[in-house]
Amino acid sequence: MAMVRAGGLRHHVERLAPEGVSRRPPVVVFLHGAFIDTLASFYFTLAPAFAAHGRATVMYDLRGHGRTERPGSGYRVEDFTTDLVALLDALGLTEPVHLVGNSFGGTLAFDFAVHHPDRVASVTAVEACPVNPGWADAMAGALHRATETLPEDQALAWFTEQYGTVSSTRTGDPAHDARIARLGRNAGRLIKATTIARDLPRSRRPPAHRLASLACPVLLINGEHGLVAAEAAYLTTALPRCRRVVVPGHKHSVLVEAPAEVSRVTLAWLDEHAPARPAAGAPDAALARLAPGASGVRPARPATGSGR
Amino acid sequence: MTSTDPVPAGLARTGAAGPPDPDAVLAEIGSMIALILEEYAAGLPEITRETRLGEDLELESIDLVTLSGHLAERYGERANLAQFVAGLDPDAIIALTVGDLVDHIVAARTSVAGE
Repeated sequence: MAMVRAGGLRHHVERLAPEGVSRRPPVVVFLHGAFIDTLASFYFTLAPAFAAHGRATVMYDLRGHGRTERPGSGYRVEDFTTDLVALLDALGLTEPVHLVGNSFGGTLAFDFAVHHPDRVASVTAVEACPVNPGWADAMAGALHRATETLPEDQALAWFTEQYGTVSSTRTGDPAHDARIARLGRNAGRLIKATTIARDLPRSRRPPAHRLASLACPVLLINGEHGLVAAEAAYLTTALPRCRRVVVPGHKHSVLVEAPAEVSRVTLAWLDEHAPARPAAGAPDAALARLAPGASGVRPARPATGSGR
Repeated sequence: MTSTDPVPAGLARTGAAGPPDPDAVLAEIGSMIALILEEYAAGLPEITRETRLGEDLELESIDLVTLSGHLAERYGERANLAQFVAGLDPDAIIALTVGDLVDHIVAARTSVAGE
């Protein structure tokens, strides 16, 4: 585990180095969702496959989440964007990166891309849309319900029910519900200790003309029964370079419930826009920072081995 | 992993070329889990092969990322969990037992020793 100080916060960062190392492998930065999510959602799903396909992967816990520091305030989307700028700087990643965001992580990816277009090579948004009035209202309503109107024990039960509505694999199995309840308790602690419930719905909205002029390619991945179908349909017409893929039978939790499909779709799309380059020549400085053996970087698989 | 990597001390007793001792691995994984759980470790049940990571230890997926790092540092990169559990859904990951991890480590180290 590597802790990286950036922008005044200690961030938990995990990286899987690319296999078949090329001189300058495309760098993919993964952005997880809000409240119940951590970098683990990528560490155990997309990241190993991306590293195996020659991408340098960077995962980190967003402020307040996972193992990253939890400041009491500063939870609008623009605060997360400021963190990402600082983190990329701290990691020496000055060239444009590929962002892959899940749910709120996708919302963050859009905000970052609109305000720092020169640092983004592409955006993949899984069940996500930019901040808009509908998003903010839905977020505020859910947070109000969870934090203001229900006693703690009922809030947890309500949260578990809500989670069931976005999951396509919820079975009623007690072990599954116990895991969801743990996630709910974590989210409750975050909400209680910080201003996130007040801040997140007040996040800045990207001006329509800025979205319309977003130069980087955008991939939208949605569950067939997900939460942002209308926004996704709008984005496919509003964004100049946008493709949308719908995963049949899945809901909002499509990333962790259909990781192989999400991985396949995203890698195929990235191959079109940023093919992994075959090894050639000596590693440059940027690669050296992401190479196996560099601080906090572990290979997805052994650098030498069975040749699988 | 290369043949020049040092064999961790706890594994050396079975011989550098032989498979590691599962009981030693079990004990070490127990220590790593106690480290991750910090103050909660005092109330832990005894960790056996059958102990479940989620239901019994209440480890969360981010805890498993930390454990993965400890395993890779101790036993070499082949022992990291990212590839081991890739493709399992969150429930399946959290349903893993300590014995599953021990078997993974022994297999990973045996594979290295056989190269």
